[in-house]
Amino acid sequence: MSAATASAGIVELLPPDRVLTGEAASEWAGGRDVGTVLFPADTNEVQALVRLANETGTPLLPAGNGSWLGAGGWTRDGGAVVSTSRLDSVVHYEPADLTLTAGAGLGWRKLGAVVEPNGQWLPVDTPGVGAGTLGGVAACGVPGPLSGRYGAIRDNVLGLEVVTGDGRLLRIGGRVVKNVAGYDLVRLFTGSRGSLGVITRVSVRLFPRPGADVTVVFGGGVGEALEVARVVRVTSLPVAAAEMVVRGTGDETGRDAELAVRVLGGRAEVDDVRARLVAEVGTGPEGTMRGGEGEAFHRERTAWEGRSPIVVRMTALPDRLAATMGWAGGGAGRTRGEIAADVLGGVVRVKGLSVDDGIAGIAATLTRARSELEAMGGTLTLSRAPREVAEVAGWTGGGGGGGALARKLKSLFDPRSVLLSKCP
Amino acid sequence: MIPATLTKSLVEICGRGGVIVDEERLLVYESDALTAYRHRPGAVVLPRTTAEVQGAVTAIARHGLPIVPRGAGTGLSGGAVALDRAVVIGTARMNRILEIDAANHRAVLQPGVINAELSAAARPHGLYYAPDPSSQTACTIGGNVAENSGGPHCLKYGVTSRYVTGLTVVLPDGSVAKLGGQGRDAPGYDLVGLFVGSEGCFGIATEIEVGLLPLPEGVRTLLGIFDRIEDAGRAVSDIVSAGLLPAAMEIIDGPTIRAVEDSVFAAGYPTDAEAALVIEFDGVEAGLDEEAARAAGFCRRAGAREVRSARDEHERMALWKGRKKAFGAMGRIAPDLLVQDATVPRTTLPSILKGISEIGKRYDLVVANVFHAGDGNLHPNILFDRRDEDELERVERASKEIMQLCVDAGGTITGEHGVGLDKKHHMPLIYGSAELGAMWGVRRVFDPAGVMNPGKVLPEETAPEWTANGEEQGAAEPVAAAVAAP
Ligand SMILES: Cc1cc2nc3c(=O)[nH]c(=O)nc-3n(C[C@H](O)[C@H](O)[C@H](O)COP(=O)(O)OP(=O)(O)OC[C@H]3O[C@@H](n4cnc5c(N)ncnc54)[C@H](O)[C@@H]3O)c2cc1C
Ligand SMILES: Cc1cc2nc3c(=O)[nH]c(=O)nc-3n(C[C@H](O)[C@H](O)[C@H](O)COP(=O)(O)OP(=O)(O)OC[C@H]3O[C@@H](n4cnc5c(N)ncnc54)[C@H](O)[C@@H]3O)c2cc1C
Repeated sequence: MSAATASAGIVELLPPDRVLTGEAASEWAGGRDVGTVLFPADTNEVQALVRLANETGTPLLPAGNGSWLGAGGWTRDGGAVVSTSRLDSVVHYEPADLTLTAGAGLGWRKLGAVVEPNGQWLPVDTPGVGAGTLGGVAACGVPGPLSGRYGAIRDNVLGLEVVTGDGRLLRIGGRVVKNVAGYDLVRLFTGSRGSLGVITRVSVRLFPRPGADVTVVFGGGVGEALEVARVVRVTSLPVAAAEMVVRGTGDETGRDAELAVRVLGGRAEVDDVRARLVAEVGTGPEGTMRGGEGEAFHRERTAWEGRSPIVVRMTALPDRLAATMGWAGGGAGRTRGEIAADVLGGVVRVKGLSVDDGIAGIAATLTRARSELEAMGGTLTLSRAPREVAEVAGWTGGGGGGGALARKLKSLFDPRSVLLSKCP
Repeated sequence: MIPATLTKSLVEICGRGGVIVDEERLLVYESDALTAYRHRPGAVVLPRTTAEVQGAVTAIARHGLPIVPRGAGTGLSGGAVALDRAVVIGTARMNRILEIDAANHRAVLQPGVINAELSAAARPHGLYYAPDPSSQTACTIGGNVAENSGGPHCLKYGVTSRYVTGLTVVLPDGSVAKLGGQGRDAPGYDLVGLFVGSEGCFGIATEIEVGLLPLPEGVRTLLGIFDRIEDAGRAVSDIVSAGLLPAAMEIIDGPTIRAVEDSVFAAGYPTDAEAALVIEFDGVEAGLDEEAARAAGFCRRAGAREVRSARDEHERMALWKGRKKAFGAMGRIAPDLLVQDATVPRTTLPSILKGISEIGKRYDLVVANVFHAGDGNLHPNILFDRRDEDELERVERASKEIMQLCVDAGGTITGEHGVGLDKKHHMPLIYGSAELGAMWGVRRVFDPAGVMNPGKVLPEETAPEWTANGEEQGAAEPVAAAVAAP
């Protein structure tokens, strides 16, 4: 049976108003031709869809809001998209427990609106988080700059409900903050990018929102900013996050760099840390943002990539930042791009704004950067790229280990490879 | 007890000093800190390197014998106990810190390094290792990884899995896998996270990379004394609800206080109190006094009769003493001690504590609570004498009821001590056959032959058919392969 006829069968499981096809479907998926998008309304429907997909041989692509499906890489076309965006209710929220359980499709903004009135938040500032769903963010598991302070999403997901690739329903973990009953399947599914199952429900740990949220911005050339970054990295002061953005090629000849250092805590603590940090750095900051202004700034930062055609993620140990930035500079130069560096985490992202320089040249630059990064223990991943670039450069590097284990885990939960996602 | 040929191979691999077959000496390895379970291993091997572990695993597996990894044996769930005369691979001689990379706040170490020794070694660099189990002067990092251990300060800083960034693992088939490493942002499944908490069933961690934190500049420690344990529980809830994030919040109940005060560990807690609450804040000096004052206010409003605060490190240690020595003290007032470990949602603490006390009364048992209150992680400890068969039976029944109570409140059967041998039959209280089947499946991915720490964590009767043949699973006709791949 071809994928097209098979998905026709599966479509009949849902009422027509919860199915998108053709242009409406690709519009929903950010311009990517996905064929069909299905919107199950509860876990049972998700399970029925996955089971039927197994019986009929229909490939499925799990999704949230589809906000990052256009990126390619871990997904393939064909079959139908299963969006969890209708599974968006809050199932359990006890503010005094600082825990929340909700449908995987709960939008990130809606989550914020639910917990903020109680002075709480889920401090995840991973790229693109604002447009996503709770389940999608958990499925991607990408750490953001705040993860040094609060842990990444994987450290704050307490429990999951998933429908595995072969249609089994699992409720793993729980809603208490400490739990070591059995093997930690929650961590396996968090960050598995829809390759093992469809996440239908998520329990997370929340945090009290600190009384003060201050961001100090240092400016200058890349060289100067790197020196400030070094001070920020080695200080014993509690810095919550530090992110540097470089507009231009990232060479040291004076293109603009901006380093935003975020300090969170009680008011007295934050004022003290800010003053001492500025003294340690030795040069005055360009400005200081407090409260709403800083929050808006960071919210915008999580949408930094926008719809850029190329997004590259490089990692290496934080004290190699200058070298990593150098390789990022090469990539940015080729694509008229910009660079954002998580100073404490050693993660450097490049968004390329243009591929006019030629696919071959871009791919060669990235391949070279990857081998240099890998030689110093780092990685280079394409988060989004035109297919032609990815075909040459590859989405991820060869290393990473655990290859055989990863393959066996995939075939354990998705033995018929029904799920189109694969974990890079 | 093991075949002479195996002894010979093991001696060749690990040296004579690294192989124990003498029955008398094997007695030391008969149990972990949960002494209810005693099984003498067939032999104990003490390798020094990853290569030696590899050699030992391969040799033992060739003889078809099961393997049990072991750290310091402080585990409280029988995890390191060798059933069926399994061969223990101990990490006692793998106790080197390989690297402290201060610039990147990270360290690489062998699994046998003692938890507290890592922090001591990091201290000159202004760093420390955050997860601090109460057993930290004895337990190993390898054991912490296997149990995903917590500790008092995990309230603010999180448990072991947050700090493990890379692992070198000898798998049950003798191969070596490197998982994560150099920070932990690499693409792919979080196999490090999956391995942490695997209780010695997935392989042996032979090198561990962890993250370190800068030492906090200042610390404030308070001790609230309460006449009713519910009030202490309420103070904990109120402090959290107010948005304060203490580094630690620990409760010691009346029976525990009296056990401590009657012992050589007497810490000066009032013996007529029904609860003592230790609260600690850490961070930069600025603002600490204010946070401590607010927390003290919440204690008083919740009914504390007295709130003490430490003025210096000496006084701080004194306030902590009752908490830290609680297990030691209890061990002295009863021949046997069952250390329970369950987590409940924090808001249910007052009612759960009441429920536990009622269960204790009903079964005529002394239950003493000392626990990580901020995390809702309870340790109801039952004091008893196992020679009294009737009492032993009541202990077992009470223990199961306590667990059911916690599960019904939305909690779980273990917060940090692990399932091991002790709780595997309680796993069905929280997981159905699908979840247990999935766990079996994952275990078989790591250990298809079932040689690594068999008989632990998962009840045998829940092993599903379909996991027994992982190969066949993979052979199912792939659906997506027919569709164009990028
Ligand atoms: C501007 C921008 C920049 C981004 N940058 C990056 C980046 O650099 N690197 C990166 O990795 N991600 C990036 N993302 C993705 C982001 O981290 C989150 O994954 C995204 O916000 C989730 O969105 P979503 O819920 O709409 O999921 P979708 O976009 O619908 O899906 C994203 C991925 O998650 C899987 N998924 C979604 N929901 C589920 C579910 N319920 N169960 C199982 N699998 C599911 C999908 O299969 C897919 O692989 C970016 C997103 C945006 C919008
Ligand atoms: C007084 C006391 C207080 C305690 N307080 C706490 C506490 O506050 N928090 C807490 O979480 N726990 C606590 N514990 C429990 C115990 O100390 C921890 O579980 C600890 O992590 C066990 O470490 P160990 O080295 O003694 O391991 P062991 O007991 O030797 O082994 C534990 C498990 O780990 C496995 N294992 C050991 N090394 C490896 C390795 N290298 N690779 C793979 N598997 C391995 C073993 O097979 C076994 O399953 C306490 C125990 C006592 C006695």
